[in-house]
Amino acid sequence: MEAFARPAGRGLSHRRRNTVTAYLFILPTIVGVAVFMIYPLISSAFHAFTKWDGLSPARWTGLDNFRYMLFDDPTFWPSLRATAYFVLLSVPSGIVFGLALAVLLNRVVPGVKLFRTIFYLPVVLPSIAVLTLWKYIYDPLYGLANQLLTDLHLPTSQWLQSSRMAMPAIVIIGIWGVGGSMIIFLAGLQNVPVEVYEAARTDGAGPIRMFFAITLPLITPIILLQLVLGLVLAFQAFNQVAVLTNGGPGTSTTLFMYKIYSDAFGSYPNLGLATAEALILFVIIMIITGVTLRTSSMWVFEETK
Amino acid sequence: MTMPATRTAYPPSQRLEPSPDLVTKRRIPLSRRVPMTLSRISWYLLCSLLAVTMLVPLLWMISIALKPDSNILQLPPQLLPRSFQWSNFIRGPEQIQFPQLLANTVTVTVLSVFGSVASSMLAGYAIARIRFPGRNFWFYLFTFSIFVPGIVTLIPIQRMFFAMHLIDTWFPLILPSFFGNPVFIFLARQYFTSIPRSIDESAMIDGAGHWKIFTQLMIPLTKPLWITMTIMAFQGSWNDFLNPLVYLNSDSKYTLSLGMANFMGGLNEATPQFNYYMASNLLYMLPPLVLFFFAQRYFMMGLGTLGVSQK
Repeated sequence: MEAFARPAGRGLSHRRRNTVTAYLFILPTIVGVAVFMIYPLISSAFHAFTKWDGLSPARWTGLDNFRYMLFDDPTFWPSLRATAYFVLLSVPSGIVFGLALAVLLNRVVPGVKLFRTIFYLPVVLPSIAVLTLWKYIYDPLYGLANQLLTDLHLPTSQWLQSSRMAMPAIVIIGIWGVGGSMIIFLAGLQNVPVEVYEAARTDGAGPIRMFFAITLPLITPIILLQLVLGLVLAFQAFNQVAVLTNGGPGTSTTLFMYKIYSDAFGSYPNLGLATAEALILFVIIMIITGVTLRTSSMWVFEETK
Repeated sequence: MTMPATRTAYPPSQRLEPSPDLVTKRRIPLSRRVPMTLSRISWYLLCSLLAVTMLVPLLWMISIALKPDSNILQLPPQLLPRSFQWSNFIRGPEQIQFPQLLANTVTVTVLSVFGSVASSMLAGYAIARIRFPGRNFWFYLFTFSIFVPGIVTLIPIQRMFFAMHLIDTWFPLILPSFFGNPVFIFLARQYFTSIPRSIDESAMIDGAGHWKIFTQLMIPLTKPLWITMTIMAFQGSWNDFLNPLVYLNSDSKYTLSLGMANFMGGLNEATPQFNYYMASNLLYMLPPLVLFFFAQRYFMMGLGTLGVSQK
């Protein structure tokens, strides 16, 4: 009897033991998600409707924060405009330059690895090290940028101190770090089957024709990935502004993320307002990512298997 | 055994261009060979030009780091230092108690790297290789949290640590990493899923439990995975600026990112130690650079596998 009963009993306890083990393995993450995501989301959703300075208890004020934001806050709309400008400049340029570099470096010739390493190098450096370096590069008097422009007899600029040039200057730093998106595109390009190119070549297609007819359609899934990642990250850009401009001159570089930070942790903390703004940012990111993903079927090439 | 991340560098494209001797053997007419070499030369020229452009800011930084004090406010500025002032590498770091900040940063980085890699490996293993009720639910929940912007959770978490009297300590920078990193769990799950089931099935017949399989079989098998995660976690922690800015108040507890940003922020024409600054900045860049040159393959892989696995 025992010999027969044991396997069944063992099988049952085996499954239960599996479940226990699995939950022990994911327990830290479950706790983490609860404490560092779900609780903060609930807390934010509540505090967005309160007046809260962090010292005295939060007081329910209904839609006041949102009303203030939309109609009275002098920096809300300018910061949204600055963020939109930043996103529109930085995300497409990251994709275009990243893809261009990847196509350029997707061949097997001596030295290609060295070039890949050099283009990737800026990505490895700490963002604060890069930003402080560029802050000095953009110095109107002593910086490298104006020095080179003078040597080339080109007009110089006030860069970060000019409300017209500050944002493009920040975007240029991002383009310097385009090696990150280059690597993702390279991985995608290497997945394009070689036979397709060979067939096109025998049909007499040139390199430009091949790029637009083969390469581009086949890597649209990677472009979509880059687009979504790029959008999510660009909407949350913070370090650039905190290190380089403090949002100025005027509000020309007051990215929304920087505004939220200043409202929450500045000299006059308004945590209720900042939480409401953070929720708005979350909603904006969700809507834009959602629209991007929904409309992607119109231009993303899907392999029919 | 096939593993997604260890695939050898770039086999498919190697077939793109036939090897040189094949070309000559087939006696391709000169008219077709000449543009080949011409296009290759222009390719090298273009790449070199771009590479130099990329390197110029870094070379200029090295030049500033070596400039003597008298060179700094010189107008027009000189591209190269008139003489080398090596003491910048001593006196620069002294300005911000660099060794102290380095020790702080290393402490925070090492602990949070260990925490996030260990907790994410465990979670990734469980979700990929143990069948248990709720497994899909948890996987979707963990993946969803990738998309929650940090700023939405930052304010409540900051208040939480404030209530626990942990402001101006390193706990807020270290503690959360021990509770799983959603991106790492996603990567780990993909990787663990690709390992053949027969491996742990045979170990299980030998009576090994999941803990034993995980520690003795899976960890050696997934070396590329956890090296990649270690590098990503190292970069995340070493480069982190916002969290130290929010949580740390006293200079003696600063991490390097915060100390360096403050150092630069305090420089102007009255206190123009930009040469000190750039020398310190080079030292700050050194650990990630060294790591990059030793583990280049893995640096580029993390993003690469993420990109490919989306296909």
